[in-house]
Amino acid sequence: MFEPILLKNVDVQDGHLLSTYEAGGGYQALAKVLRGYTPDEVIDLVKQSNLRGRGGAGFPTGMKWSFVPKRVDKPKYLCCNADEGEPGTFKDRIIMERDPHQLIEGLAVSAYAIGAEIAYVYIRGEYVTAIRRLEQAIAEASAKGYLGARILGSDFNFAVHIHCGAGAYICGEETAMLESLEGKRAQPRLKPPFPAVAGLYASPTVINNVETLVCVPHIVVRGADWFRGIGPDRSPGPKLYCLSGQVRKPGLYELPMGIPLRELVEEHAGGPPPGRKIKAVIPGGVSAPVIPERGLDVGMDFDSLAAAGSMLGSAGVIVIDDATCMVKVATRIIEFFHHESCGKCTPCREGLNWVVKVLRRIEAGEGAPGDLEQLEKLCKGIFGNTFCALGDGAAMGLRAALAHFRDEFVAHIEERRCPFH
Amino acid sequence: MTMREKIEEAAARYPDQRSAIMPALLIAQRQHGHLPGPVLEEVADILGVERIWVYELATFYTLFHTEPVGMFHLQLCDNVSCMLRRSEDLLRHLEHVLGIRKGETTPDRLFTLSTVECLGACEMAPVMQVGDDYHGDLDIARIDALLDRLRTEAGRPTGADHAAAASPGE
Amino acid sequence: MLKVTIDEQTLEVEAGSTVLQAARRLGIDIPTFCYLKRLPPLASCRMCLVEIEGLRRLQPSCATAVTDGMVVRTNTTLIDETRSSMLDMLLANHPLDCPICDKGGECELQDMVMAYGPRRSEFRDPKRVFHSRDIRLSPVIIMNVNRCIQCQRCVRMCEEVVGAVALGTVEKGMDTAVTGFEGSLASCDQCGNCVEVCPVGALMSFPYRYKARPWDLAETDTVCPHCGTGCQLTVGARKGEFMRVRSKQEHGVNRETLCVRGRFGLDFIESRDRIKRPMIRRDGALVPVSWDEAGDYLRRRLSAVENKAAGGLASARLPNEVLYQFQKLMRTVFRTSNIDCSSRWSAPFDTLGPLMAAFHSRAPLDDVIGNDCVLVVGGNVTEENPVTEYLLRDAARRRQAGLLMLSARPSRLDADARVVVRVPPGGEAASIASVVAGLVAAAGQALPGDALATIASTIGRPTAETGGEGPGRLATALKEGRSATVLVSVDLLRSPEARATLQQLNNLLQILRLLGKGTAMQFLFDRANQMGAWDMGVLPAALPGLQAVTDDAARATLARNWGAEIPSEPGADLDAMLELCIDGRMGALYIAGTDPLIAYPDRDFVTRALGATDLLIVQDTFLTDTAGLADVVLPAAGYGEESGTVTNNEGRTQKVRKFREPAFEARGNLAIFDFVAALRNRALQPSTQDEIFDEIARLVPAYRGLTQDGLGAHGTFTTAVPTPPTGEFFALPPAPTATDALMLITGNGLFHNGYLSERSDILNTVANDPYVAMSAPDAARLCLSDGDQVVVRSAGGKLTAQLKIDRQFPKGLVFVPENYRALRLNSLMRRGEYPCPVEVQGVHRTLEVDRTSRIWRGV
Ligand SMILES: Cc1cc2nc3c(=O)[nH]c(=O)nc-3n(C[C@H](O)[C@H](O)[C@H](O)COP(=O)(O)O)c2cc1C
Ligand code: SF4
Ligand code: FES
Repeated sequence: MFEPILLKNVDVQDGHLLSTYEAGGGYQALAKVLRGYTPDEVIDLVKQSNLRGRGGAGFPTGMKWSFVPKRVDKPKYLCCNADEGEPGTFKDRIIMERDPHQLIEGLAVSAYAIGAEIAYVYIRGEYVTAIRRLEQAIAEASAKGYLGARILGSDFNFAVHIHCGAGAYICGEETAMLESLEGKRAQPRLKPPFPAVAGLYASPTVINNVETLVCVPHIVVRGADWFRGIGPDRSPGPKLYCLSGQVRKPGLYELPMGIPLRELVEEHAGGPPPGRKIKAVIPGGVSAPVIPERGLDVGMDFDSLAAAGSMLGSAGVIVIDDATCMVKVATRIIEFFHHESCGKCTPCREGLNWVVKVLRRIEAGEGAPGDLEQLEKLCKGIFGNTFCALGDGAAMGLRAALAHFRDEFVAHIEERRCPFH
Repeated sequence: MTMREKIEEAAARYPDQRSAIMPALLIAQRQHGHLPGPVLEEVADILGVERIWVYELATFYTLFHTEPVGMFHLQLCDNVSCMLRRSEDLLRHLEHVLGIRKGETTPDRLFTLSTVECLGACEMAPVMQVGDDYHGDLDIARIDALLDRLRTEAGRPTGADHAAAASPGE
Repeated sequence: MLKVTIDEQTLEVEAGSTVLQAARRLGIDIPTFCYLKRLPPLASCRMCLVEIEGLRRLQPSCATAVTDGMVVRTNTTLIDETRSSMLDMLLANHPLDCPICDKGGECELQDMVMAYGPRRSEFRDPKRVFHSRDIRLSPVIIMNVNRCIQCQRCVRMCEEVVGAVALGTVEKGMDTAVTGFEGSLASCDQCGNCVEVCPVGALMSFPYRYKARPWDLAETDTVCPHCGTGCQLTVGARKGEFMRVRSKQEHGVNRETLCVRGRFGLDFIESRDRIKRPMIRRDGALVPVSWDEAGDYLRRRLSAVENKAAGGLASARLPNEVLYQFQKLMRTVFRTSNIDCSSRWSAPFDTLGPLMAAFHSRAPLDDVIGNDCVLVVGGNVTEENPVTEYLLRDAARRRQAGLLMLSARPSRLDADARVVVRVPPGGEAASIASVVAGLVAAAGQALPGDALATIASTIGRPTAETGGEGPGRLATALKEGRSATVLVSVDLLRSPEARATLQQLNNLLQILRLLGKGTAMQFLFDRANQMGAWDMGVLPAALPGLQAVTDDAARATLARNWGAEIPSEPGADLDAMLELCIDGRMGALYIAGTDPLIAYPDRDFVTRALGATDLLIVQDTFLTDTAGLADVVLPAAGYGEESGTVTNNEGRTQKVRKFREPAFEARGNLAIFDFVAALRNRALQPSTQDEIFDEIARLVPAYRGLTQDGLGAHGTFTTAVPTPPTGEFFALPPAPTATDALMLITGNGLFHNGYLSERSDILNTVANDPYVAMSAPDAARLCLSDGDQVVVRSAGGKLTAQLKIDRQFPKGLVFVPENYRALRLNSLMRRGEYPCPVEVQGVHRTLEVDRTSRIWRGV
């Protein structure tokens, strides 16, 4: 059995209170770095741990931090990406609702490492409970001196502010999030300059996902080797997997990185509902290309999934059984991206609109010969040409669905109806 | 605290007043229920920012409403995980019992029915958010019970006697 | 320098250049939509994607900086396919209503599809119809949302260039739409720059709607007649009828921008107020007559006043040739130096002359505002010279120039300024003196000893009380900069304080020069050819070339060339001429193209003066109030009916071109001068515009060597050889005793800057109603709130308008925009008194006049 680390407190009574957190050894990582580590040493430690960002892209966290210029006359900022909009994903919510101090400690240690005195936690506005819990935790932590001026008697000053999103998936994209924090329409920014150099208010800014930040105190306490020892060396650590869809035991699972997808779905989550078979799994939120059943033996880590033509993304694992129409799933996913397109770039805004129209037609049994070629052509026009990864995600997902389940699309067109009805 | 004070307090968290537009709109919407033009102007005035900036944000983000919504905003998730757990059936049921289509508000202004993108609670799919609260693992019976509870909360007749009590003037 | 290879061609570019810039320099065409030269790249349309060796994805060339050794390809099959695909996607929902779209024939999308688009589209689903009707955003701007391709040029133009922040983008994704607050632009600047930069027929000009197709229009490149910025514009006319104005991307100081006056305010040329035939006064009334009759009448009247004084006043909007010929007519035929070119104020040439000679820079605005510090003194540049303001904003935001603002009137540009000094009305000279004192105090040792001694003995100890700390910060900024440009609003010249203000500016510039700073100075004129009017010698004390009338050599040269004697004494300026009139000593007063009865600050005085003139000749296009008092009215060609040259604030001489013949019986101004000279049995030689230009290029030093053909699309800069500063410093005259009295000042508003704008139907429609602006504390003290009707009353008269409370206003300041004809603002003013003490009251209450508060007088 893998002993939960990140989820240690989530099922505990009053797990969200400071007393519970302290009783389990909370804030010792913060004390440890403030007493004995320079910021650069913390960065080195995180580098050695091979921690990679849990927000989706899997960028090495220590390396990202090291891009922050050391000497600038501007303030530096840490932004926590708690926008969690990727369909099929709910891990950050559960941490913030049930163990918010873990995040606060992660923020404090990370801010210390990069030299930030202010962090903004960008939480999606729907997460009212998480917002309240986090506010409460900030108040508790401030009262106890884990936040504020001269923390634990050191020279380190640090404040955490919550910024509520208001319903826009694109805010999860880090530069769109910065725009949103600056009070603008959340549309991604050009890079370069990268946020580490010129981010929020044109100041050096690090953006990290909740789960990424939450790993940091554990690395401090248990060491980089411990972390690297869990799962594949290039993509290690404990990992939160969000299981949903047609499985018997949907829920949040903490298991090592690299665990085979089949094991995750069939053993931990209990497999498909009685009498059904798994048809396909989306392994990392809807941006991740779907994997047909025969591909389930892949390891759940950044590199293995990439090699298998999909991605770990947010580890939102959505299980689809054999009674489900893939055209419908694909349509719903593209509708989501279409709805959430920020509207900035042509291929995403216009291309997805076109794709949606064709898909809806096919799904409704009104498809025509040539539609699939048209969709493929559109995917080609969109993929790689959009301003941010949202459009790419949509095109990749559709390509995978068309590749693996072409027969279902063809059946819709030829039979002029949905064979699953 | 007045709305102005709340907004000013929120604005103090940022080095730039423009950043406070979103928090200010959330505050204003809690106060007014929705965000009509004069409220947007007031927010712009309090923060001393351009009115168009406030208008841009009030329309970009789906949680802001420039038009009135009912007392209870039923926001049913219809993204993939919920869809796989038949949220469509729930939508059809809700449309039926409320007598409205999605996107509409009941004539008594009690309920507005919407579908939303993933609420980030797929472990309890299908999910619906009502006000601040999430309601998960929904089925038709649970939906009916929830509607009854909400009506009671509002001091309105519950589902069982609703049809009978509905007055023509409503 | 970085080496880049694009499509096998190699080029060296400066660091920071983009791939697009490099490609364009090689003449390689890369299509773009969202890119606009003067804005930072957005990279959203994805038309400009290129292949870069070593990179997996295509990159937007508009936003990709060249790196050394970069190899770029723009001509591959993949690029062709991608461009075609982008256009295909854009067209999928784009209405194909080209036949009824105003943009048809000059649409960038149309052109791009022809060049790079798919030959046919697979798209068969119904198109989105977003808003079935076009949305009238403002009286002049109409929007078809369906056609918008989201390049965001308009929104960025509005926010980043114009600074109005009126347009924005609402909703997201496919629902994204460009609009104003709550769907309206009713209170924006109406500059129409959004319309100009719209590549498709989404934002359109309402006045031009359905009026013509581009290929029906005869287009004429010319210069805006409204302010001294001198924007280039292109008039589109059909069969001589004015249709529209466009600006051209690469032309002139303004490039693709204009302000509301330039873009929409040219319809004045079709005003019904036109004078159709010559008129003479008969039995008290003006009656239309033939040119011959008018000539006979005028000959008789002129000979009757031959032995009395004569005077001439010409508009600073007329072209150089007309102005030059006017002063020649006055000097040689009427034998007088009583000549002026402004009906509102007269420049004190004794002070202005040396200041101009030492510091005035004839150079592109873009260059002079590239200095570290740009000090804008007086006025409100946002409203008076909007396009100049756009450039200043750009200098502050993108070129890191330190903007320093010193004025009684706040302006939008203040938000981008490093230092803002708000002075009490009329307090400019004193504030500049404080800056000077601050500079001297801070930089004392750096100044040469003898200069320091001179300064100490003339300026003495500064009286800083009017300034507060602002002037100190301004002095510090100037001291820290390496170079400084001073831009002077004409507002400062209108007051009796003008001399003192110019003296203090002279002090300031001299000290900056002594401190080794690069200096430049230009005026911000509100009349299109004010610079030219001065250059042409339409001044009582200066000959063409700003040479003193008393300069014997200059006079001799001109006299020789003109074949006539030139009076050697300085003459009367407008104010003094009016006094001559009042005294019954003015025989003939000749007014060309200007309306002092509306503009001169004392309506009562000017009415009496004009009434007391023996012979009042008015030569004009429109029937002005002044023309109504004339004895002879001569109909002159209007803007667009006569070619010539004008010289803008930068000293750039540009061509105004006619696009039709003079309407009705109007004649060209030059022909009318010939006509009048002939009545006195004289001939003005030469007499055609071309020949006069050549004479100017021969005889006016700053214009030496110019040729009309050489003016090209951008005009040519006049050049003057600066003379060293005089070394003389001026003490500040005793400061006026400050009182609590409210002081009225006036100036141009955005929509009106006088004579022509008030005859534009469109400007009259978009202009806000005349208003009275004052500070919040003053309003509170008077128990007035925003929007109240108020009466402004002075010793001379009163007016009623709506109150606008302006939080940026200094206490004591009341502002009413001039040039609202119906308001008769000048009837409140008294000659020689400016700012004008007033009282302001809500309409309903009775007025208790406190006469003691009216004693504040300029010195
Ligand atoms: C369209 C889009 C949506 C995203 N949504 C999220 C999100 O909801 N939460 C998140 O943490 N990262 C999200 N990301 C990834 C972020 O851009 C960014 O990579 C991440 O926050 C970095 O943090 P990390 O390095 O800790 O993973 C999204 C990216 C894209 C392109
Ligand atoms: S700024 Fe002046 S010259 Fe330019 S368009 Fe406006 S009025 Fe005309
Ligand atoms: S898909 Fe419905 S809550 Fe996640």
